[in-house]
Amino acid sequence: MGRESHKMKALSLLRSRICDPKFVFKPLHDSPDSNYSKLKFMISSSITEACNNSILLLGPRGSGKSAVLELVVGDLLVEYPDMISVIKLSGLLHSDDNCALKEVARQLCMEHQLQFSKAASFDDNSQFMVAMLKECGLAHKTIVFILDEFDQFAQDADQLLEKRVRSRFSHRKLLFLPPSTEDSKRILEQVLSLPVDSSFPHDYAVEFNRKVQDILEDRRFKETFNKYLNLDSSIKHLLRFLFCAVSCMDVQTGFLTYENFETAFSSILRQPKLECLKNCSILELYILVCMKRLEVKEQTLCNFNSIMKEYKNVHDSFQTSDYYARNVCLRAFEHLINRELICFTDSRGYGSSVEFRPVKLLISSAELHQGLKAYHSCPAILHKLMDREG
Amino acid sequence: MAETPSKSLRSPTKCKQQSHLDANSSPSVNPVTPQSVAPRRSTRRKLLAFDSVDPQKPLNCIDELCEHPSKAPNKDKARERRNLNRSRRSIDYAEEPCKGKVTTRRNRTRENVSIGKAHKKESNSGSAKCPTSTPRGETSKRRNDKDSDSAKVPIAPVSPDQSETKKRKRIDERRVVTRAMVARSRKSEKGQKSNVLPKRRVYYKKVVYDGGEFEVGDDVYVKRREETDSDNEFPEVEECRLCFSSGDDVMIECDDCLGGFHLKCLTPPLKDVPEGDWICGFCEARKIGRDVGFPMPPEGKKLVRTLREKLLSSDLWAAHIESMWKEGDGTYCCRVRWYVIPEETAIGRQPHNLKRELYRTNDFADIEMESIIRHCFVMTPKEFAKANEGDDIFFCEYEYDVHWHAFKRLAEIDNDNEVGEESDSDEDWNHCKESDFDTDDDVEYDAENTKDSRPQSSSNHAPAANLRKGQFFGLQKIGTKKIPQFIRNHKQTDIERAKAMLLLASLPKSLPCRNKEMEEITSFVKGAICDDQCLGRCLYIHGVPGTGKTMSVLSVMRSLRSEVDAGTIRPYCFVEINGLKLASPENIYRVIYEALNGHRVSWKKALHLLNERFVEGKKSGEKADQPCILLIDELDLLVTRNQSVLYNILDWPTKPHSKLIVIGIANTMDLPEKLLPRISSRMGIQRLCFGPYNYQQLQEIISSRLKGIDVFEKQAIEFASRKVAAISGDARRALEICRRAAEIADYRIKKLHSNSDLAASGKGLVAMADVEAAIQEMFQAPHIQVMKSCSRLGKIVLTAMVHELYKTGMGETTFEKLAMTVSCLCTSNGEVFPGYDTLLQVGCRLGESRILLCEAGSKHRLQKLQLNFPSDDVAFALRNCKDLPWLAKYLV
Repeated sequence: MGRESHKMKALSLLRSRICDPKFVFKPLHDSPDSNYSKLKFMISSSITEACNNSILLLGPRGSGKSAVLELVVGDLLVEYPDMISVIKLSGLLHSDDNCALKEVARQLCMEHQLQFSKAASFDDNSQFMVAMLKECGLAHKTIVFILDEFDQFAQDADQLLEKRVRSRFSHRKLLFLPPSTEDSKRILEQVLSLPVDSSFPHDYAVEFNRKVQDILEDRRFKETFNKYLNLDSSIKHLLRFLFCAVSCMDVQTGFLTYENFETAFSSILRQPKLECLKNCSILELYILVCMKRLEVKEQTLCNFNSIMKEYKNVHDSFQTSDYYARNVCLRAFEHLINRELICFTDSRGYGSSVEFRPVKLLISSAELHQGLKAYHSCPAILHKLMDREG
Repeated sequence: MAETPSKSLRSPTKCKQQSHLDANSSPSVNPVTPQSVAPRRSTRRKLLAFDSVDPQKPLNCIDELCEHPSKAPNKDKARERRNLNRSRRSIDYAEEPCKGKVTTRRNRTRENVSIGKAHKKESNSGSAKCPTSTPRGETSKRRNDKDSDSAKVPIAPVSPDQSETKKRKRIDERRVVTRAMVARSRKSEKGQKSNVLPKRRVYYKKVVYDGGEFEVGDDVYVKRREETDSDNEFPEVEECRLCFSSGDDVMIECDDCLGGFHLKCLTPPLKDVPEGDWICGFCEARKIGRDVGFPMPPEGKKLVRTLREKLLSSDLWAAHIESMWKEGDGTYCCRVRWYVIPEETAIGRQPHNLKRELYRTNDFADIEMESIIRHCFVMTPKEFAKANEGDDIFFCEYEYDVHWHAFKRLAEIDNDNEVGEESDSDEDWNHCKESDFDTDDDVEYDAENTKDSRPQSSSNHAPAANLRKGQFFGLQKIGTKKIPQFIRNHKQTDIERAKAMLLLASLPKSLPCRNKEMEEITSFVKGAICDDQCLGRCLYIHGVPGTGKTMSVLSVMRSLRSEVDAGTIRPYCFVEINGLKLASPENIYRVIYEALNGHRVSWKKALHLLNERFVEGKKSGEKADQPCILLIDELDLLVTRNQSVLYNILDWPTKPHSKLIVIGIANTMDLPEKLLPRISSRMGIQRLCFGPYNYQQLQEIISSRLKGIDVFEKQAIEFASRKVAAISGDARRALEICRRAAEIADYRIKKLHSNSDLAASGKGLVAMADVEAAIQEMFQAPHIQVMKSCSRLGKIVLTAMVHELYKTGMGETTFEKLAMTVSCLCTSNGEVFPGYDTLLQVGCRLGESRILLCEAGSKHRLQKLQLNFPSDDVAFALRNCKDLPWLAKYLV
């Protein structure tokens, strides 16, 4: 039982590490070139020297902008207690002026235990905000506005700010870039190794770390890992991979294996269209192939009726055994629409019936080809039809 | 109320300390008359030489007092003064960059009003809406309580804290009278006798009392108790700690113990007062751990403690006179605002506190003039730095909220206007606005509030903070519990000073490079004011952002205001509006009306009233006669569909008796042309263009701010100015670049050389490289870097996009075509083709960071994609990619 419990403990430790930005980002902080120390310097100079700054954190999704900001703010709150109020706005929620001001007023009230009224007007709120800013300035309190999803407030962050706004923006920019492959590896190693101290049985921890090292050295793992990072090298993406892998860990043995990573890789990188094809019925495949043929004939617009005509043509010329009634075909057609393998080209037109609305194929011929090949019981005729056009 | 504010002010330890001191002092010494003051520090002069008015003659009222024999004339007078002040207030708007400040000011004003009202209507003093009222009301209660012991007035003592009452009693045994709140107790005594409040109450601005001349706004020492003992002497002169005589010789003050020493008494004697800090031998010895006492005074002579010493050991109080009056029975009273010494605050003396530091409180009291001893001088940090003489100077930078035990820096505008005037000026307005607040249940609320402990006071019936009706209730809560030490002790390095000077928020002393424009504005405004008709005056100012349009107008208005104060030009009112801050264009009427008359009405009503004033020439009130200058910033935002707002505003100046002058500011040069002809004919006549700054001007602007701070390399400033001048000519940009450069240099010094002594000395110049880095950061779009750090597949997709573009010449492509290209590229270069679905993901990721513009991923093969940046940028970014060298051949 004791052995079981420390294995569970190891699993949960790994999971909590992966979910904790503090742990993941910590090793990247020490150098003075890191965004963490730059951002911290800028905000703390606002606190100590009363420099007003506006800083833009730029970077692709999942590169740790919010995480680093949270870390910095958290550290500063500890360092300068009672001197910072944080107001958080999100562009997705508060891009409307009125709503944003109301939210600012609400959070200011919350922060200072004041009574907030929903009924206050735009003017009231904006004046309240200005009054508060002044009071806080006099009381040596710094207000940090965090505008998440900033591009929703502006048309396009940085490049297309309104000229008056741009003139007032102080143009500090911090660029968050995905870590290099070496950094990713370092993070991987750091996250996965158990501490060799009293928290785990010594033998277990050593063995665990040795196995992790083995995996990391494994050529197959390196391949998978690189393949994974080729797609997207951001930290968030990496963490997702790790979390999946760790969750696959066998609690019985209590060790990570290469297979765990393999499973994680395939469970994250799915091929939705191909998987869809795998689950299609033969009739549905017929319809797709018919649409494909129509497209090759440069009949750009087609609807259910024209597809049915083609289907009949195919049937007539090849004498296939799979010929279904029209209403069955319609149902199959609707299935395909629901699976987004085909779609209507017009957005409106709810009035007219499904049969007459123009549709388009949402899967490329190469994929269709590949899908048919992978399909076990695919009729030979379909392959033939595809190849002919190929 | 478990913890009353004043309890902490006069804590038990203080009482003990006091009694101890009392025990030391020997009995009955007559007040010492002012002697000639020995100069203290070489520059000291006789500061305290009072007018030689006969000290026995109780009172001399100086001519400029305003007398109100009864209530009605009183009011008239008040209004007169108010009107005077109104104009002043409206000019004050000029100083305030934003509307919000007006409100705060009003907020403050109000508290003063209620102070004023407190004399007339006792019930008002407990208004819950008045930020200071609660502590004050409470203190008054307690003082009553205290008095009831000595004066035997039948008032039920409201003792919030038993132990405290006891303490008080102990003090009472020694007959504490002076601190008592005279007004209330006396009133209740009278109430017993006649049940009538004193009818005559005469207000003064200046009073000569017992030889001292006191004015509203002065700072004074206040007696703590009726002195029967030796401490009743108020020495004007400090004695030397060594020879125990004052003499005429120069004395020097120890910066640590504040003791005074004759230069000649020191060992070795000093010839001159040394520069910088000086610490006496006793303090020095104490610092290195030796126990040294000051020499004892010779037998029979006791060490006379100066008032400063007594104040700093809380045997005296200091206060700020807010108003003075004579009661019906002839006693002279005044309303004061207490100062406290750091020891009397909740957190006690902090290491960063200066020896002579006081805090201003929001605790008011009415006291008799009798308890005032004489003047002291409480100064702002700036004044204090200059003051070098006298023993009665004190330093005050913060206000202490006795209720919340919180500190707040004193706003600088506080010193600009006299509080007394303000209180009158807004009285009328406040009356109608707050009549609902001054009702009885507010008093009840107040009483309740005093019993509540702090967090509960914001309970259900407290007004909301962000509602205007509540006048932003509760802002007084904001304040820091403890003044952070690093702010007080921090000595700015040169770079930090430079950073502070380059802040957009800091107002420079001089505004170079816009003299011509400012002259033009001045002459325009002056011409318009002096013209009796004020016909059709409208000025349109345009220019790109950051060229000093608003700043120039505001600085002109400031200089004009000083001319008004000097009396060279007629008073006028000035209203500043920013179009961007209006919720809707129509709201401008409301804002204008509120600024002019102080009432808030709906915009339709406001339009009607403004039309009455400007078109029909109906003047309500005397002030309406003054010309009105309306500054509208961001004028283009007032354009509505039918342009009626602009039409109305620009039409008013053309009316015969409107006396309205409009100054509009916008960015576009041709705004008048874009408007309807009937508007442009009213506005486009007088225009003023603010061109972008050229590099010499920018250089001058930056250097003028950095005067005396030598951290920038000369070429660095020039480089920044040239760069900005070439791009936009925006001064804000130039300042920001320099500030950023200073920040980068600061960062470099503090982080990279944290161990070397370079950081300690604070030296190090802001070099070209720093400016270069700042410019890079500011002007270079980061997309090149983002592309360089893309994932491997991302790079391939980008290359395929460029390749596709070169092949077809079409900027837009579909996902299907792109995928074909990618698969071609991959197969011919030995790369594994990742599959369509993966590729789609990669494309969408690039779309998220706006490297590509693309449609939603659900369109799959029909998805349209396009590069968001020139293909050359992509080629530049990816040409030298180490991982994928083969990309280069598709990028040429």
